[in-house]
Amino acid sequence: MTIFGASGDLTQRKIMPALYALAFRHLLPESFGVVGVSRTEMTDEEFRERMRQAVIDHARDEFSTEIWETLAGGMHYVAANFGIEGGEEELVAALKDLDETRGCAGNRVFYLAVPPEAFDDIVTAMGRSRPANGWTRLVVEKPFGYDLTSAQELNELLRTYYDENEIFRIDHYLGKETVQNMLVLRFANGIFEPIWNRQFIDHVQITVGESLGIEGRAGFYEKAGAVRDVVQNHLLQLVALTAMEPPIDFAAESVRNEKVKVLKALHTPGPKHVVRGQYGSGYIEGEEVLGYREEADVAADSQTETYVAAKLYVDNWRWADTPFYIRTGKRLPKRETTIAIQFKRAPHPPFEADLESPLRPNVLLIHIQPDEGISLAIGAKVPGQGLSIRTVHMDFVYGGAFRIGLPEAYERLILDCLLGDATLFTRADEVEEQWAIVDAMVAPWRRDRPHFPNYAAGTWGPAAADELLHRDGRSWRRH
Amino acid sequence: MAVALGSIREIEHELGQLRDASTAPGAAPLLRTSVMTHIAWVPERWAEQARETLLGLAERHPSRTILLFPSPDEPDDVLEGEVDFRCFVRGGHEKEVCSEVISIRLCGRRSAAPASVVVPLLVPDLPVFLRWRGPLPFGAQELEQMVDVVDRLVVDSREWADVRGDLARLPELFHRVAVSDIAWGRTLPWRAGVADLWPDVRDAAVLRVAGPEAEAFLLQGWLSGRLGREVRLEHERAGEVELVEVDGREARIGRLEPQTSSDLLSEELEVFGHDRIYEEAVRSFSSAPT
Repeated sequence: MTIFGASGDLTQRKIMPALYALAFRHLLPESFGVVGVSRTEMTDEEFRERMRQAVIDHARDEFSTEIWETLAGGMHYVAANFGIEGGEEELVAALKDLDETRGCAGNRVFYLAVPPEAFDDIVTAMGRSRPANGWTRLVVEKPFGYDLTSAQELNELLRTYYDENEIFRIDHYLGKETVQNMLVLRFANGIFEPIWNRQFIDHVQITVGESLGIEGRAGFYEKAGAVRDVVQNHLLQLVALTAMEPPIDFAAESVRNEKVKVLKALHTPGPKHVVRGQYGSGYIEGEEVLGYREEADVAADSQTETYVAAKLYVDNWRWADTPFYIRTGKRLPKRETTIAIQFKRAPHPPFEADLESPLRPNVLLIHIQPDEGISLAIGAKVPGQGLSIRTVHMDFVYGGAFRIGLPEAYERLILDCLLGDATLFTRADEVEEQWAIVDAMVAPWRRDRPHFPNYAAGTWGPAAADELLHRDGRSWRRH
Repeated sequence: MAVALGSIREIEHELGQLRDASTAPGAAPLLRTSVMTHIAWVPERWAEQARETLLGLAERHPSRTILLFPSPDEPDDVLEGEVDFRCFVRGGHEKEVCSEVISIRLCGRRSAAPASVVVPLLVPDLPVFLRWRGPLPFGAQELEQMVDVVDRLVVDSREWADVRGDLARLPELFHRVAVSDIAWGRTLPWRAGVADLWPDVRDAAVLRVAGPEAEAFLLQGWLSGRLGREVRLEHERAGEVELVEVDGREARIGRLEPQTSSDLLSEELEVFGHDRIYEEAVRSFSSAPT
């Protein structure tokens, strides 16, 4: 595996700890080797030491010298500048050398852990020098473009040198255990699928909340905003997984075909169905935090959205007229990703008149992070005199049911890539459909200047987001 | 001694660890149960009573309990959290039912923004009760924030130094949150006793109460509110309500079973909606002459 951007944060926090976890479980082939590539000058030994520290700091398993030495034995580093003609030659030579010394047989994984500006040079240089034998897989980190046009250009670039089945676009949300479990929940349990439709489901709410701010990433965030950072990828992928039809099997193409159908069926939300916000100062965990415009390197009059809520419709037979409310934001009260399936109320509860408060609808809650699991809210009679009904939760919590640690998303995704299984990776047409929706959402934004900030840090977003649901006689579920 | 948890993420992580550790290999997981989030705001002087109350409560109201201990005078602005599981064997069952207890000391300026600490820890979709120990600091940031994130505020007006003044201001909160008063709960048998004096009580002019100030005022407010006119209060201080008379006629009650603080709080946690009679009593009181 060649990691471009080997001196970067992603390599140290995610990729290398994931490789170590795979090595720890003996899931890497014996001939596996890692070549780190970046512009920084470093020796092999310095690179190994840096990666060793990354594993100690970020891996989920205890540090084993034996495991580390096995992994580090195949680890090398090449400083390269792909912006100049022939900048890749030293790397190509090192890879050939590894083929001979470790028996890699020309099999390559190129992992692009670099900013998108660097994609062109690296993809072109490495694409031109593909080995004659073995397989090659290209792992691409988001953002996959900035809009539909740039995404199409990127896809075109990638396909110049690689087939679609060689391209692995990572959306790490898809590697999370609970996201995969949603497919199992839906398609391995006979009780859910018959009621997974407009006749029984009132609406769906998907929340991707972060309590953190932009954490010094103003350069990226000022350009991206919440819609490009989260809605275009994670949120729309979660919508697709929730709404998709049963695939004929769990093969990559079958699953991705069904997701694309949902994305194609998404009704473009009009301006009234989209709310954007930007946080002002407020409190997180009792501590006063700055507003977005006061963050380092953010423009004092920035119009970048740190919050987006939208009402989406999937225009198909299963979901017609069933709204999918989505929201994401920075500096919300808690870090939480959930999918809430709210069912319609019981049609004629015979005891409604006797109750202190109206019956609440059933909600199937899929917790993606933290506290991975599933819970079902049901009404139950309070024991004793009279008829008092309370909402109680039936919980399935991963940690309590399975006594094994959940793998990090990157472990699953890297292993799948090594095995050539692209099920949990995003295909080009998915990316383009997602951008088409986002482009339509943001198009009206060019014409107005919203009054930002419009929500305080530590709250659940602007009042207009509440109004979006109140207009429909609904409200965001309580977190 | 366990290391204090300094962030919500650490608290969540520790809860997950406890949950995992509570399940024996091969055994069915423990039942983790919550029917509400129960928050207690506990200034230092109330800490011991709050813990005692909690001990008697969890079995009856399995909840995620969040105990907030404000320590504004601490020099560092930090959180110091601890988490614990309280497990109870249900009668006739082998399985234990467990509830989570999260204790957080809010040090320095962290005590001024408690809502931002508890909101991430609320159990989704379930009602949130707040037991506020001691006087209500009307207008203070900590109370204002908390009122907006809970469904029900439970107080005990017996704990207030200025009962009359605080009852007069309490209606300011009624449109924002349902309020329960444990002192009000204690007056229930006496209210029933006064009601038994019907129809004579219709013409009541003087209510005489020997008991704590809070209960005396609440009884006065209640009777005034129910009759739609003012009833004069004659009050004698006592540790518990010992006597209630209406125009010289004693309200008779059955033998009172001793109730612990847990019993009293437990009763308030059963109630969900607004208690309109209580609100009327307080409003009536607040407009009564001193």
